Amino acid sequence: MENILRDTLTIILAGGQGERLYPLTRDRAKPAVPFGGIYRIIDFTLSNCLNSGCARIYVLTQYKSFSLDRHLVLGWSQFFNSPEIGRYMHILPPQMRTGTSWYLGTADAIYQNIYTLERERPKRVLILAGDHIYKMDYAEMARCHVENNAALTVACMPVEKDRANQLGILRVDPKYQITGFQEKPKENPATIPGDPDRCLASMGIYIFETDDLVRRISQDARKNSEHDFGKNIIPDMVEQGEKVFGYLFKDENKKDTPYWRDVGTLDGYYEANMDLVSVNPQFNLYDRDWPIRTYQEQFPPAKFVFAESGDVARRGAAHDSLVSSGAIVSGGQVMRSILSPQVRVNSFAVVEDSILMEGVNIGRHAKVRRAIIDKGVRIPEGTTIGHDPESDRRRFIVTQKGVVVVPKEMALE
Amino acid sequence: MAKLLVVDDDKNLRLLYEQELSDEGHQITLADSGPAALDYLKGQRPDLVILDISMPGMDGIEALGKILAKDKSMPVILNTAYSTYKDNFMTWSADAYVVKSGDLTELKAKIREVLKSRGLGN
Repeated sequence: MENILRDTLTIILAGGQGERLYPLTRDRAKPAVPFGGIYRIIDFTLSNCLNSGCARIYVLTQYKSFSLDRHLVLGWSQFFNSPEIGRYMHILPPQMRTGTSWYLGTADAIYQNIYTLERERPKRVLILAGDHIYKMDYAEMARCHVENNAALTVACMPVEKDRANQLGILRVDPKYQITGFQEKPKENPATIPGDPDRCLASMGIYIFETDDLVRRISQDARKNSEHDFGKNIIPDMVEQGEKVFGYLFKDENKKDTPYWRDVGTLDGYYEANMDLVSVNPQFNLYDRDWPIRTYQEQFPPAKFVFAESGDVARRGAAHDSLVSSGAIVSGGQVMRSILSPQVRVNSFAVVEDSILMEGVNIGRHAKVRRAIIDKGVRIPEGTTIGHDPESDRRRFIVTQKGVVVVPKEMALE
Repeated sequence: MAKLLVVDDDKNLRLLYEQELSDEGHQITLADSGPAALDYLKGQRPDLVILDISMPGMDGIEALGKILAKDKSMPVILNTAYSTYKDNFMTWSADAYVVKSGDLTELKAKIREVLKSRGLGN
């Protein structure tokens, strides 16, 4: 049982466009979107893989994959690649072996790479999304899958009933065998037995016996379907009485409420980042038993200056914030914000409740509030962002909840 | 009567299939290679393709992929002397897999079965 993940091929679907995260996804795939100052979204799934002991990994990339590729090669190859002892991570762009289309759905993404499954011949396949934030031990899920002798195991977690219409909802029997699957049910979602206010939601994490997976996706590829696990493959398998089990998410984050986020919207993304600056964040980055890794270039330590000048207003400071290396708070004030590497906040500037990505420069006397400023933007001296919604809307994207988003390298005057 | 495309690099087998399957009442077109079959399929849509696997150059597995990439609903029966390809995942998207034998009973049965499942034949 110890080597359960050696017989398992892990496939990470990292080709999502992340349209609702636009403009953060204008120049990069969703899994490559920066998060928490030094991370990218895919780091959380890859850290889970590393901490769980996944040995054989394929990352399926697709749109705008350059910065994702670079991040994987520079940051993650060193952890996973020892091919001589059967450990590797390969990056697999679309091979167009079964046609000339991009991936039509999650199941089609696997079908288009069936040649890889034929060559690898794993006993089972672990399918993950590269754009969710959570901590999970996949080895435990695999053990549960084997113990149940399941054809398919779907990781799931309890959610409030009012969120059911955005998720895939499972109906299970007392042994957690799935007896029904509703994709984004508009009404009457199946609730957890004995818990009428909550439902079991699929987390988009699947373990398939390889033969069952291949048979299903080969049939599905011939049909007019959306070629999607949640919409087509799982409902079909459940309906036809196959052994499909739910696996109840055991959160390695070890907080009171299980943490799993599909940071699919700008507001969701903003809130998940802002959680990290609170005194006791819901998501724990500090647990040495479940480390979260990334790739980051080396920069000098973060620096805060101008207290010496004696001018109190020019005493560079950051409070309730994450400050990455290479950042310089040079006479500005930073509150409840995330400063990525090489950010500079100049004198008399005030930054509050904001995410500043790598290399952002905040000019003197600028005021920035509730904003996401993407890489490399220079905010000119005296600029105000996040204080006047009307003026912000004329220049930038403003989310439903009023967060201003300034796209990568946007030139401002 | 159905229109069948039979793809096989063995000339004698092609003639045998043509004769026996014509006797079943089908209209037969022959192709001697994967590329020849794909060429034919550019302008024609048979009701069923019967596809050999082991052929020089493009084999039947590659041809199957290309046929389905063009028309995923095209019914295809793989018809091969080898049972080993049955384990190859790439063959699992075919409608049926028949191991060649001296008489064509099984192939004929599979043809009937596949045509029936597609609402063709009797």
